[in-house]
Amino acid sequence: MNRERKCLLLEPKKTQTKAFSNMIVSILLLVFEVWAWIQSNSIKTAKNAAVQPSTFPRIMILGMGIFTVILLVQSVIKLAGMKADDPLAAKAESLNFIKNKGVLAALFVIALCALYVYQFKNLGYVVVSFLLCAIIMWLIGLRKPVKLILISLLVPLGMWLVFYKFLTVNIPMGILQPLRDLVDMI
Amino acid sequence: MDWNLLFSSYSNVFLDPTTLLMTLLGAAGGVLLGAIPGMTATMGVALLIPFSFGMDLIPSIGLLLGIYCGGMYGGSISAILIHAPGTPSAAATLLDGYPMAQKGEAGRALSVAMFSSFCGGVIGALIMTFLSPLVAKVAMKFTSAEMLMLAVFGLSVIISISGKSIAKGLISAFFGMLLCTIGLDPTYSKQRFTFSVTSLKGGLSFIPVLIGLFAVAEVIAGVERIIDGRESAQAKSNEKITRVLPDGKTIRTIIPNIFTGGIIGTFIGAIPGAGGDIAVFVSYAFNKGTSKHPEKWGTGIPNGVAATESANNGCSGGAMIPLLSLGVPGDSVTAILLGAFIMKGIQPGPMMYVSELPTVYKVFAALMLANLAMLLVGCAGVRIFAKIVSLEKRMLYPIILVVSLLGAFSINKNVFDIGVCVFFGVIGWLMNKYEFPLSPILLALILGPMCEQNFVRFMDLNQGNFSAILNYPIAIGFFVVAIGVVIFSLINQKKINDREAANLGSFPQE
Repeated sequence: MNRERKCLLLEPKKTQTKAFSNMIVSILLLVFEVWAWIQSNSIKTAKNAAVQPSTFPRIMILGMGIFTVILLVQSVIKLAGMKADDPLAAKAESLNFIKNKGVLAALFVIALCALYVYQFKNLGYVVVSFLLCAIIMWLIGLRKPVKLILISLLVPLGMWLVFYKFLTVNIPMGILQPLRDLVDMI
Repeated sequence: MDWNLLFSSYSNVFLDPTTLLMTLLGAAGGVLLGAIPGMTATMGVALLIPFSFGMDLIPSIGLLLGIYCGGMYGGSISAILIHAPGTPSAAATLLDGYPMAQKGEAGRALSVAMFSSFCGGVIGALIMTFLSPLVAKVAMKFTSAEMLMLAVFGLSVIISISGKSIAKGLISAFFGMLLCTIGLDPTYSKQRFTFSVTSLKGGLSFIPVLIGLFAVAEVIAGVERIIDGRESAQAKSNEKITRVLPDGKTIRTIIPNIFTGGIIGTFIGAIPGAGGDIAVFVSYAFNKGTSKHPEKWGTGIPNGVAATESANNGCSGGAMIPLLSLGVPGDSVTAILLGAFIMKGIQPGPMMYVSELPTVYKVFAALMLANLAMLLVGCAGVRIFAKIVSLEKRMLYPIILVVSLLGAFSINKNVFDIGVCVFFGVIGWLMNKYEFPLSPILLALILGPMCEQNFVRFMDLNQGNFSAILNYPIAIGFFVVAIGVVIFSLINQKKINDREAANLGSFPQE
């Protein structure tokens, strides 16, 4: 047990443990909290107010800061005296998209979603959803073109019909605007 | 209580074909609406209220109560099946409901949710029938001090839902409360963290954040797992549903949770401004805290689903108490119902118990009927709903994504909300990756505005003297209970960690 512990302390892979990732996350959170505190300085004051508009957000930032410091201290202590059977000695999740194809795929999906938001009004819900659905299905292994196209087309179309006709939610149709006119006529 | 009048009112409602049909239609619509992420029971009631204009009072109230009760249960369907609570009241159902679905017990989770919703609704309706004047009297004593401490009491359950790291749970909670402060300050209308973005002036909408944190984050993580080879793209649930109601053994296990959940839900629902979204977390924490095996909560046990679903449907009865006895709506749905009463020429309030007593009893009966209708619709739908998870993951994930993003849009018909949803999807994915619990953010988003508004109001009324809170015994009572809950949860969490450590043995390094 002692030998195992000694080895782990000398192990360069300590940077891959959950304790180390907790430490890095706490430092990043502290940076965010300092930034949020600075931003709170720009909140205008109110006259004759018992509680200023910036008070509540600052209490929250302070609360977040206190527990971030606690997390940081906990992680440093764990790293210094790490035991092999400690749950925080387990390997942490990685964000390295060069080594990890899963992370790369996740980032690709996020980028697709960002494009989806950007083109939502121009192309319309059905078209952007068709593209998003089809690309992700292809990405995660659906190689049957007919099934892929049918699902990607029918689901957004069905959802649009439900929301538009029954729930009276007006959804942008973009280039498929004539379809809405057709449904309105029916 | 006039028992003869009560009995005749119940039989009038239960034997009237129009009321039966309308209530059943309302329940079916409510379940469907509730199941769609982004559509809430409030929206359903608001959408269908014009259809009730031409009807008599009781069928129209039956229709609206059917939507209300159906929507409360419907929210659990998407929480269990796709990790996206259909309504805020189903936010805590996913804590155990979704893990059950992942274990191949989606049908069982749905039937437990339906049965618990029904029982919780019946408990709420019964309490409303017999105790409404008394409960309303207590609830109406609440001022900003009591509401502030009620919010603090609600927040005290965060430790119970924080998982292994309390520090991470509290960081999540404070982050959620900070998010609530984005937009115009509710008292003085000063801009906070808006960065000159017009859409941020109104603050972040709760539903897009909720959908992003849970549904979009789950899709991103799912794609990552499939590409990594940790999850099969062809994976699907092969659960065979042999019965629509839970079996006798399950019912015996969940009955205590249903009972306490129903009572907690009714009481919280009776407080104006506090609704199912708060009640579910309080009930979950209470039931987990009093459980013999708290370490099993959150891993996919029916008790967790029962505790939350009975609480949110219990709220439907509770929220009717101040509406009928004082003319003050307990939540947004009852606010719309108040409008329906006024439209029909009836003014809810203390006088209603004198001049319109038969109508009051008929409303009690309509609520009971709405719960029964919800059970019937639920029974008919369990097999169909459970089919959703029998889709392969490579088809299910993209479908969840496009449905969720549309749900985010539909709240304010604003593309900005889809952006918010995607942004919080990324935040949720990262938080899951680094083991920050998401539920505390949810609770903070629900309680944050209530906490701040009442804090500011209380401080303004007392010239900035916070110690004046000592003059409010109910508020102090809530605070003491909150401290008790924190201590109890800390002890409980330590027990859970010790048990898990004992079971772990040697922890794998790779």
